[in-house]
Amino acid sequence: MLEGVAARSRARRLRMVMDLATVEASLLVRSVLVLAGLLAGGAVVWVLLSPTQPLWWNAGWRTNGGQLVLAMTVLAAAQLAAGRSRRDGMADLYASFPATRCTRTLAHLIGLAGAAPASLVLLGAAAVAVQLRGAIGAPSIAVLAGGLLLVIAAGAAGIAIGTRFPHPLAGVIGALMLFVTGATTHVASGAAIWLLPWEIVDDQLGSLPGPLAGYPPAGAHASELAGVAVLAGIVALALTVRSARARAALAAAGLLAVAVICLAGAMQLRPIPTAALNRLVSEVADPASVQQCTTAGQVRYCLYPGFGRDLPSLEAPVGEVLAHLPARPPQALTIRQATSLSLDSTFTHGHSQRQVSQWNAQLQRAPGNAGAATAVYLSVGSWPAGGGQLADARFDVALAAADWAVRLPLPIGSGQACVPLDQAREAIAIWLAIVATHPPAGELTDGLRGPGGGMQAAEVQNTIVQVWSPPGIDAGYLTGSPPQFTAAGYLLARAMTSLPEQKVSQVLSGAWSTWVNQRTTDARLAAALGIPMPTVPTLPGPHPGLGAATAPGPGNAPQSPQCTT
Amino acid sequence: MDEMTLNVRTAAVRVDGLSRRFGATRALDEVDLTLERGITGLLGPNGAGKTTLLSILATVSEPDGGRVSVFGLDPRDAAQRVEIRRRLGYLPQELGYHRHFTVAAFLDYVAILKEITDRRGRAEEVARVLAAIGLERRARTRIRALSGGMRQRLGIAQALLGEPELLILDEPTAGLDPEQRLRFRELLSGLPGDPAIVLSTHQADDIAAICPQVVVLLHGQVHFTGTPAELAATAAGRVWAADERDGRAHLSWRGADNRWRHVGDDPPAGAELVAPTVEDGYLLLSHAAVSHQAGAR
Repeated sequence: MLEGVAARSRARRLRMVMDLATVEASLLVRSVLVLAGLLAGGAVVWVLLSPTQPLWWNAGWRTNGGQLVLAMTVLAAAQLAAGRSRRDGMADLYASFPATRCTRTLAHLIGLAGAAPASLVLLGAAAVAVQLRGAIGAPSIAVLAGGLLLVIAAGAAGIAIGTRFPHPLAGVIGALMLFVTGATTHVASGAAIWLLPWEIVDDQLGSLPGPLAGYPPAGAHASELAGVAVLAGIVALALTVRSARARAALAAAGLLAVAVICLAGAMQLRPIPTAALNRLVSEVADPASVQQCTTAGQVRYCLYPGFGRDLPSLEAPVGEVLAHLPARPPQALTIRQATSLSLDSTFTHGHSQRQVSQWNAQLQRAPGNAGAATAVYLSVGSWPAGGGQLADARFDVALAAADWAVRLPLPIGSGQACVPLDQAREAIAIWLAIVATHPPAGELTDGLRGPGGGMQAAEVQNTIVQVWSPPGIDAGYLTGSPPQFTAAGYLLARAMTSLPEQKVSQVLSGAWSTWVNQRTTDARLAAALGIPMPTVPTLPGPHPGLGAATAPGPGNAPQSPQCTT
Repeated sequence: MDEMTLNVRTAAVRVDGLSRRFGATRALDEVDLTLERGITGLLGPNGAGKTTLLSILATVSEPDGGRVSVFGLDPRDAAQRVEIRRRLGYLPQELGYHRHFTVAAFLDYVAILKEITDRRGRAEEVARVLAAIGLERRARTRIRALSGGMRQRLGIAQALLGEPELLILDEPTAGLDPEQRLRFRELLSGLPGDPAIVLSTHQADDIAAICPQVVVLLHGQVHFTGTPAELAATAAGRVWAADERDGRAHLSWRGADNRWRHVGDDPPAGAELVAPTVEDGYLLLSHAAVSHQAGAR
């Protein structure tokens, strides 16, 4: 009979816990804090993802940067909920209810399910955005689950804090601590960065040509977060439970959770398998070994597996440049992906110094690092999916193809970029890129100004020369340094665009070999086209309001070489 | 009927030698008390130990010594304590509120904590208590928008949830206007199921109006247990009406008829004896306790 009473009592308590958890979950779903966290997390995801190519092995991890922000607000909201009765002066009343503090805490913990919709909405929105932008690769369930577990673990921590410290400031401090761990991952070294709640600063996921086994250790990290969530829940319950038997059971469960966390930590600190790193280094140092090449219009496009999606947006601008060429150079053009991956300790921990040196030596031979480039190299992960960034990237590729067409050097991996000072082929290359991609005039003109609004200059042959930067050049769509274009060359190209294309083509076709000769001057080209040489504004000296020319004074810095090839 | 309810027909609350200290202060000192079903009024000055006693009866705090039995159940046993709480409605003296909750949401939340787990039953119960305290039109109002009196009624409403067999109300009429106090009396008088109700108050007229039993607690000790009439009777022959004030009275005040009412042992000159009230009885008990304590020092 007593057993029956106890069973009925337990059933009643269980129903009560579930009802209370439902209410707490619905309060969490409607929480202004959680909603704010969702919006802020969405903004963070946007900021982290929009400048980069949607590579799933990178985007999934970045998405959870937004989950970190959501987790902060869930922590604060959960702390407020757990401390509600004491903060609102209702502890005495609550103590008179059949629901004990322990059962209420259990309901709060179950009610954390109310944070899941916000986390899933954030995840879903990010996934849709990544897919719509043409995702490369496939999402990792372990990575995405890690984001959800991060939110739940933060909520459990908030409940543990709120159970002991009901003041709202305790939740704010907890959320800030979570933020600090996310913002200071650079303090940790090697694989230790993966032990922190979430790392979004110091990894090189965006530079990988594909997913790398064991990097990041997402499954182990998800296990760690699950362990932390359970441990925080156990701490919250231990603060409220009264019976010695229950305390003993919680202690045992806590030890188990700590063991899971330690095991997960140890797994995250495991070195990346040598075979996986060998493969990565080989893919980076010798991309031809894995890249798939396609030839279109006698141009070879070589891309890593999975990046074929980018081919049409590469072919179009290059094809347009080729279509305007009277003649092609004898050597073929190759456009190839390359990556500037550097093997830091997050990759190489646990491997011998000798092995690391060997890998680094191999990487030094990567095509993107060569002083004289034989191909146009595209940075892995930088090719944008659309919008103005894609327009800039297309212009940069068109300009690189035009450089090849007029025999200017291709972007080089090391050494100082040359300046095609007073070389007609420079204006022709810029003109070709403009007619191939039609970028907005304003963006082109912006290239005359430096970052501070002043004019940019370079020193060549002991002369300060005003220079021009193509749009998007700082975004690094191409690896290496292209020739340093002059303002005079750009202004002449702009003047050429005011002429009918047919007329320019006729002039160029008439003496193509002359025009691509490095000795043919801008003035000669202008004269042939029947246009006056544009006036290059004089370089202002340091003057408040005008900005300053960003060039070293004569003799104060290494000079840029003339382009002679 | 299970064994938890076997003792329902015994005294609702039995207190034996109950003691509670707060540092050097003896809040309750060997209190013995038996409370039957029906309404019991608890009278006493501030600091007499009323709130301490009620919080112990409500299983919120534990005594240092003595025993409490509620419906035959011992609150020291965890399972029996939960069973007591299942039969309990409690209004603490100082109750905060979740101010961002609506009235209905708050009551629903409390109903869950009282293990009213059937959703429809809970909604009906919330509607019932809202109607009982006249807040049904405020169901969707946030608590922060309620007046002090409305919040006090809400506090009473939460105590009524689940039709408790033991209702402990610590100063429930504080903050209520005269009409609300009368409605409160009506409410308590009409509660179904013949519950045991213990209410503490400073309003002697509330006690006189609705409490068949009254307990006077002074300095942590029970000084009187009986009916309001018996309490009033303790002052028989010691309440006088006179035209002039008499300094020998324990307490004197001018009434609405412009005559002085004296409560004391010695009649003023030209005074006439008047019928004592519960308040008079309480005042004399209180005065006697103060004198006794002063003498003991």
